[in-house]
Amino acid sequence: MQIEDTLKPAEVDLLYQAHHRWLRGWLGARVGCREHAADLAQDTFVRLLKARQVSPLKEPRAYLSSIARGLMIDQFRRRALEKAYLESLASLPELEAPSEEQRLLILDTLERLDRALQRLKPRVRQAFLLAQLDGLTLTQVAQRLDVSRATVERDLAKALGVCYRIRYADA
Amino acid sequence: MPDQNPTQAQVDEAIEWLVKLRYDSPGPRSEQQFQRWLASHPQHAQAWQRVSSLGDELASLPAELSRQTLAGSERRRMSRRDHLKLLSLLALGASVGWAAREPLGLPALMADSRTATGERRELLGSDGSLIRLNTASAIDLRYSAEQRRLTLLRGEVSLDGNANDNRPFSIDTRVGALSTQGGQLLLRENAQGLLLAVRRGEVTLFPASAAAHRVKPGEVLQVFAQGDFQPATLHNDPWGWTDGVLSVQQMPLGEFIDELSRYRPGLLRCAPEVAGLKVSGTFQLADTDQILLLVARSLPVRVDYRTRFWVSIGAA
Repeated sequence: MQIEDTLKPAEVDLLYQAHHRWLRGWLGARVGCREHAADLAQDTFVRLLKARQVSPLKEPRAYLSSIARGLMIDQFRRRALEKAYLESLASLPELEAPSEEQRLLILDTLERLDRALQRLKPRVRQAFLLAQLDGLTLTQVAQRLDVSRATVERDLAKALGVCYRIRYADA
Repeated sequence: MPDQNPTQAQVDEAIEWLVKLRYDSPGPRSEQQFQRWLASHPQHAQAWQRVSSLGDELASLPAELSRQTLAGSERRRMSRRDHLKLLSLLALGASVGWAAREPLGLPALMADSRTATGERRELLGSDGSLIRLNTASAIDLRYSAEQRRLTLLRGEVSLDGNANDNRPFSIDTRVGALSTQGGQLLLRENAQGLLLAVRRGEVTLFPASAAAHRVKPGEVLQVFAQGDFQPATLHNDPWGWTDGVLSVQQMPLGEFIDELSRYRPGLLRCAPEVAGLKVSGTFQLADTDQILLLVARSLPVRVDYRTRFWVSIGAA
């Protein structure tokens, strides 16, 4: 079993006072927009509050910038995903169109799924998509991919394990 | 209920149950076994609650819309041409001219580039640095008056930095940042995090939540998402693809096929009973069919082409 420690709010507060301005500058140089940089800096500290702390912070700025970098890259993906969603929506018959409230939930779930898929090997990804989105049964997926049912079970468990970590652990 | 997270093992068990109950047609016996498992430990209920709500979330996705959105976002990520302010790259072999630099003060010079599965590209930066993208990869490259910056968005890239340009070269990846002046290095995203190989020059690694580390020429490191790293042991020459080859020593066939499948669209599978056979040699990546043929000749295996995009390797 692993002990999960988060930083205490007071520690985050100290980090905030010491590095927030620097982080905003760091982000500003990268995203080229002050407000956007301020938002991302804020999000970085929010993540920090939730992050599991594995080792003491030796280089807080390296750590902060690595979180911020992840957020920037996630944003590239999120924007691509939102545009693709709207495009797909336009091409579908109206009956499948979700409501506005559903839209955000779907996009959040899709975003996590998208991140999970990136981390999976091609066969695992395919097995998972066939079972999840095409609604194929285990046996059908096994036939389609020409592997045993046990392999498909393992693949699905692996894919769901990655989804789980993204959903509950990756702060 | 105490606010304690379920252990990894409990989560794994819950996931196994989810696979059995939701993705398969369970009989009454598995239902009973499941109920027993659920009752056997207080934290099982919590693990199950989390795992099944994850399952509910995924199940609530509208299928067709989700499929199209995922495919579309992949395409979009790969070609963010609409974001291009100015092309500061010259693709070797393609007839793209040099673009003029914008006056300073305008948005940073920005270019992005990507490769499809099986494709490799060489790009020459306006600073004289040579950048190579391996299969299914994407980068974002921006130069400003003060610095050069490369972001690895996906896949694998090698950088041969021009040391005569005195702006520092900063590199961003998902697991950490690097900086160099004129170093020659290679970065590959993998399941554990990032593989980093340095061939020449000074390269500094800034991993998440760990001290900066100077990487020496000749070093090959596996960097993990948590920020720790260790020397990597490889069965292949990580630089091989930059010369268009896959060069391996005693690599298990299963790993070799995984490696090869990066370069081939479609499915390429290796049966478990032959996955442990060892492969050595240098193969031309330009023709993966030829590689499969050579493998079939030198090992006791059979290559089965169901279609060009569905190939399986099994015992001969």
